[in-house]
Amino acid sequence: MAGLELKSLYKSYGEVEVIKGVDLSVDHGEFVVFVGPSGCGKSTLLRMIAGLEEITGGELWIGDTLCNAVEPRDRGIAMVFQSYALYPHMTVYENMGFGLKLAKTPKDVRDAKIREAARILQMENLLERKPGQLSGGQRQRVAIGRAIVRKPEVFLFDEPLSNLDAALRVDMRMELSKLHDELGSTMIYVTHDQVEAMTLADKIVVLNGGVVQQVGSPIELYQRPANLFVAGFIGSPKMNFAPVNVDRVEGTSVTISGKDIAAMTLEIPLNAVQAGDVLTIGVRPHDLVPSPSGAIVGRIGLIERLGNETNVNIELPSGASWLAVLDGDQALQRGASLIMNLDRAKIAVFDAGGQAVTAEKPLA
Amino acid sequence: MSFIRKYWLSAVAILVSVVVFLVPFAFIVLTAFKDPKQASLLDFSWPQGNYLWGNIVEVVTTRNWMLVTAFVNSSILTVASVALLVIFGAMVGFVLQRRKTRLNGLIEFLILAGLMIPPAVVPTIWLLQGIQLFGRLHGLILIEVAYGLPFTILLYRAFISTIPRELDEAAIIDGARPFDVFFKVILPLLWPVTVTNIVVQSVAIFNDFTNPLYYLPGNANATVQLTLYNFQSQFNTSYNLLFTNIVLITIPPLIVFLFFNRQIVAGMTAGAVKG
Ligand SMILES: Nc1ncnc2c1ncn2[C@@H]1O[C@H](COP(=O)(O)OP(=O)(O)O)[C@@H](O)[C@H]1O
Ligand SMILES: [Mg+2]
Repeated sequence: MAGLELKSLYKSYGEVEVIKGVDLSVDHGEFVVFVGPSGCGKSTLLRMIAGLEEITGGELWIGDTLCNAVEPRDRGIAMVFQSYALYPHMTVYENMGFGLKLAKTPKDVRDAKIREAARILQMENLLERKPGQLSGGQRQRVAIGRAIVRKPEVFLFDEPLSNLDAALRVDMRMELSKLHDELGSTMIYVTHDQVEAMTLADKIVVLNGGVVQQVGSPIELYQRPANLFVAGFIGSPKMNFAPVNVDRVEGTSVTISGKDIAAMTLEIPLNAVQAGDVLTIGVRPHDLVPSPSGAIVGRIGLIERLGNETNVNIELPSGASWLAVLDGDQALQRGASLIMNLDRAKIAVFDAGGQAVTAEKPLA
Repeated sequence: MSFIRKYWLSAVAILVSVVVFLVPFAFIVLTAFKDPKQASLLDFSWPQGNYLWGNIVEVVTTRNWMLVTAFVNSSILTVASVALLVIFGAMVGFVLQRRKTRLNGLIEFLILAGLMIPPAVVPTIWLLQGIQLFGRLHGLILIEVAYGLPFTILLYRAFISTIPRELDEAAIIDGARPFDVFFKVILPLLWPVTVTNIVVQSVAIFNDFTNPLYYLPGNANATVQLTLYNFQSQFNTSYNLLFTNIVLITIPPLIVFLFFNRQIVAGMTAGAVKG
């Protein structure tokens, strides 16, 4: 049984601070995904947990042990690398048994564990091959098998699927999900692909610039993003944004309008905004509905007809471009104008600092 | 005509190689078959009769079987030096490539210096005398290791930089200690370079003439190259025996080449590492 506790972790390379104070707690058996743009420090954070990077500041607890100075082999972790990192000179069987052999596990126990892992991953027929004779997907399987054999408390994955082609990636995603159910271990998974994050995670940690932006379940992040960054990063296609002004505040009814948006009234918590504030509203492409009496008018740009839905680019008066995903197949004319309504309950509102407007602001 | 136009350059190249490499070798072998009188003419003629066996017996038994002692000495010298070179060269190359510290620049400078600056013989002899290693085989082994190390390190380091670091890290996570990482993961992957190093260094050390001459004086210590002196003197040289001796001591390097040649080529073409 091992959860994880990260207490204000810092990492710097010389002058450059890469991880800037990460607090996170992971329960036993959770599937946690670190997601964020490339270079935001996901791998660094994972490697700090693995023990491959020294921790500059803060505490790392795995289970009940403070692990800052514990050797990787004693942390109860296993890691799967993006490039698989299989030992090219060993067979699949030897690759999977390498860790056990180093730990001087008796031969029969080792053999049983390797065969068990091979059975779980359905690759008993590959055991005698060398990595060079395997396809990308098979190598990935072996890398995962090598991790399973160690029976770790915590699995660490660093973008394990990004070297695979799209179809295989979807398959492996499902297998990983199944594997998590089967083994019940804690898994920490790094990816820059928010779809992978949404589909796999119990809990997503969104990172940007070495700072945690938001932690929550996939749906929480989708429905209630904490700031503009998370709103723009989670969800595909991306959320549309537009700046608006606050015209009038009457209790919780707030009237807003902007260059692209006709005046409309939203429900916003008491005292969160004041008349004259500049806000940003965010609308998901799926929440836009054509309607003769909508708040948004734009010119139709590129149209993608996918059959089950239609993606429409709309140029707004300010020059901003929004994307709407309309149900079914819609026969639309490029260059025509389109009026759309928004589902008010689903509009996300952000203050000038980019934070979601939710809690009450203290009265000035 | 077009045939000639197409291949004349290749033909010239082959002809030049034959003249440069095979003619001297043929001369050596032919002379080894001759009797002293014909050999002393030093001409490129067919031997009048076969005196090879007699020459061999004389060469081997000269000066109380010195050639046999020399072969034993040279074998010990070569095997020990090459083994140490491979192990230390690979280790230094590994650490130098993987661990970046402030000392790296200095170490690389020293390696290059070792490659370029000619060794100073007299101070080296003083040093060896000071630590009681002068005139001893293991002293010479250390000398050969020291002289060969820079080249070996450079070869290894270049190759190690093509082995992804994630491989080391995977091994560390699997519980490998530093020596496990090196001996169980890295060293086996270095086989192609190791073969190259074995061939290059063992031939160089086996054929080394000057270092044994300086640092390992004495008949009991002779290495094979020094046995060539047995048949040369200022006034009279037994060319038939000299060339027989050359033929005999050329055989081991030749075997090494024939044995490893395929492996060098195979190792190079396999590229071998990406997993
Ligand atoms: N060894 C290093 N020395 C200096 N900077 C590094 C080092 N490793 C990573 N970085 C920097 O740390 C940042 C985060 O890197 P990384 O964790 O690999 O990002 P990613 O989220 O894409 O996995 C990057 O800006 C990278 O340049
Ligand atoms: Mg990364």
